[in-house]
Amino acid sequence: MVLLQPDPFLSELTNMYERSTEKGSVWVTFKRSSMKSKVARNKMESKGEAIEFRCLIRATDGKKTISTSVSAKDHQRFQASYATVLKAHMHALKKRERKDKRKAADGDKKQESVKKPSSKKASL
Amino acid sequence: MVYISSWDEFAERSIQLFRADPQSTRYVTKYRHCDGKLVLKVTDDRECLKFKTDQAQDAKKMEKLNNIFFALMARGPDADITEVSGKEQTEAQPSRKGRGRKQ
Repeated sequence: MVLLQPDPFLSELTNMYERSTEKGSVWVTFKRSSMKSKVARNKMESKGEAIEFRCLIRATDGKKTISTSVSAKDHQRFQASYATVLKAHMHALKKRERKDKRKAADGDKKQESVKKPSSKKASL
Repeated sequence: MVYISSWDEFAERSIQLFRADPQSTRYVTKYRHCDGKLVLKVTDDRECLKFKTDQAQDAKKMEKLNNIFFALMARGPDADITEVSGKEQTEAQPSRKGRGRKQ
C-alpha cells in the first residue's frame, strides 16, 4: 500500500484504467478516515483533542494498491480531476438506446421471437 | 446480496447509511472495462447496498454521488450536500448552443 500525493495518485489511477482495458477490473474505495491508529485516536479522544478527518481514497487493480487522502480544503480540486479521469476511461458503458432511430438490424437481438415482422417494420 | 435497481433509492439509502456510521462506512466503485460494467457498493460491514449498471447515463449520476461522498467524507457528515449536487449542471452543458444551426 503506497500513500501518494493526490496528483501522482491520479496519474497512477489513469495507468490502472489503461492497463485493464482488455481484462481485469479497477476498484476505487472512498472512506472517511483520521489516518491514525485506533490507539492514537483513543488517546486524542481522552485528551479531548479534536480529530481531523480526511477522505481516504484507495484504488486497486487486483495486483497493486495505491492510496491518497484529501482534506476538507482540497477535496473539491481533487474531485474535479477525479471526475475527468473517470470520464476519459469509462467509455465502455452503453449509450442510451434510442428506439425510434434504431434500425431493425440493431433491434434483432431483442426481437428474436418476432423475427418475421422485422422486415415489415423496416419498410414502415 | 441483491442489487438495488432504482438509482434514487440506492443513492438515498447509501447516504443514510454513511450518516448513521461515518467512520466505518466505505463507498466502492468497481469498473470493468472489458465487460462495460460498473458496480457501486456502499457498506458499513453490517448492511451492504449495491448498484450495477452498464449504461453511460448512470456514470453521470455516479459522478454526482462521488462528489456527495467526497464532501461528506472530507468535510464531515453534516456537510451541506445540496450545493454539491447542483454544481454539476453548469459544467455539464456548455456546448449545446450550436446544435440546431450546424445540421
